[in-house]
Amino acid sequence: MDKSTIVCKCEEINIDEIETALKAGACQFDDIKRLTRCGMGPCQSKVCTNMVREIIAAYTGEPMEHIEYPKNRMPIKITRLGVLVANQETSSVVSVFKESVSEVDTNG
Amino acid sequence: MEFELVIIGGGPAGLMAALTAAEKGVKTAIVEESFALGGQLRQQAQVLENLPKEFGKQSGIALAKFFSNKVSSIGVTALLGHTMIGTYRNGTIGVSNGKDTFPIYAKKILVTTGAAEQAALFPGWTLPGVMTIGAAQILLNRERVLPGKEAVVLGCNSISYDIAKQLRACGVNVQGIIEKKSIDEIDKELIEKFESENIEVFFHSNIEKAAGKQHVEKVWIDNDVLKKEREIDLVCISNGLYPVTEPLELLDCEFTYIENLGGRIPKYGSSFTTSNSSVYVAGNAAGITCIEGILVTASIAVTGILEDLAILNNIEAKKQKEILWTELLKAETGRYSKVHDARISLVNDFLPKEI
Repeated sequence: MDKSTIVCKCEEINIDEIETALKAGACQFDDIKRLTRCGMGPCQSKVCTNMVREIIAAYTGEPMEHIEYPKNRMPIKITRLGVLVANQETSSVVSVFKESVSEVDTNG
Repeated sequence: MEFELVIIGGGPAGLMAALTAAEKGVKTAIVEESFALGGQLRQQAQVLENLPKEFGKQSGIALAKFFSNKVSSIGVTALLGHTMIGTYRNGTIGVSNGKDTFPIYAKKILVTTGAAEQAALFPGWTLPGVMTIGAAQILLNRERVLPGKEAVVLGCNSISYDIAKQLRACGVNVQGIIEKKSIDEIDKELIEKFESENIEVFFHSNIEKAAGKQHVEKVWIDNDVLKKEREIDLVCISNGLYPVTEPLELLDCEFTYIENLGGRIPKYGSSFTTSNSSVYVAGNAAGITCIEGILVTASIAVTGILEDLAILNNIEAKKQKEILWTELLKAETGRYSKVHDARISLVNDFLPKEI
């Protein structure tokens, strides 16, 4: 297939860019995401997840069931920062950072 | 806000569950991202033939209306335009309405987020005029906009049959169905249905590419015999569905991978309880199935929830679940028998987490 074919519509990432990331050492969706922004747009990889997974499977020769899915983090839908902190009493900002807080905890 | 049961997703599974729970007096809320209840039923104009007896035969649109009327009259709180965006540290779900983010406390959470459509990758698939069949159905049946005049449909299955027929009925010329598989791999009954409608199916073929300036104008069909370019202005993609499971991931549910259920799927037991004992799953989010399967899995999950809330006693619940599992087997026999087998082995492998 033409390598210039767009895979991630939101961030306009094409097959070539994904394969370049794989050649640079990316193994999973999230590696490609960090290198290219693939899957980081408005749809939050709703549309491209399996397409990218298939490209990874074809590149690595691994079966699809071994190809990881992108990790979902809060907020799972596009949310304005102002909306997250709108109500001080119930502010979720701390929860958004729950992951990084617990990482710090476990790392001592 | 505090409820006994909070349902994430107001599609057929969520509505079925909300109705049953509210009938038993459970204080129930539905968190629904869009501004209407019904989910994908809202654009399904085709008659759903095999609904559970109490529903008879009706279109998805009619069923959505029936459900949303019933749900509002029975006192279910429908939080329209609300999205679950995360969880708080203590596991409470966080919901946003676009202005504010707040927690909703619930004894039990049922995730009925349904499925998303799988697009197909080929050069030109991002052009305007190339869309999934769900999008075409929204345009046709909900927005009353004709998505094109000359169409091809990618994927030979019962859903693409429905959309091809609907497009035709609206005056769209359906030039053909493009199917990767060979004729022997496709259900004979389905092929006959296409034949009786005089819709051509190109087996062993694929879309090589689509092209156009501002909008799709041509597709090239990669078929040894055909090798033809066709002038079209609409490409509908029917490439299957996969379960939407983000809320379950945030609720710390364990996952597994089962191809026949649509890929990554939460682990669940015979009452559709996940590894997080206060979280249940039903409908397409628990494995891609037919509309009957969607409704029956929701009924099973609610039975489990009623049992957990001590509204049903163990004996009654067990009896009801047995009846419902028999119904589910019946619903998933035939075209969905692989789904059912996969489901059974998933349920049998399920071990509730030690607390």
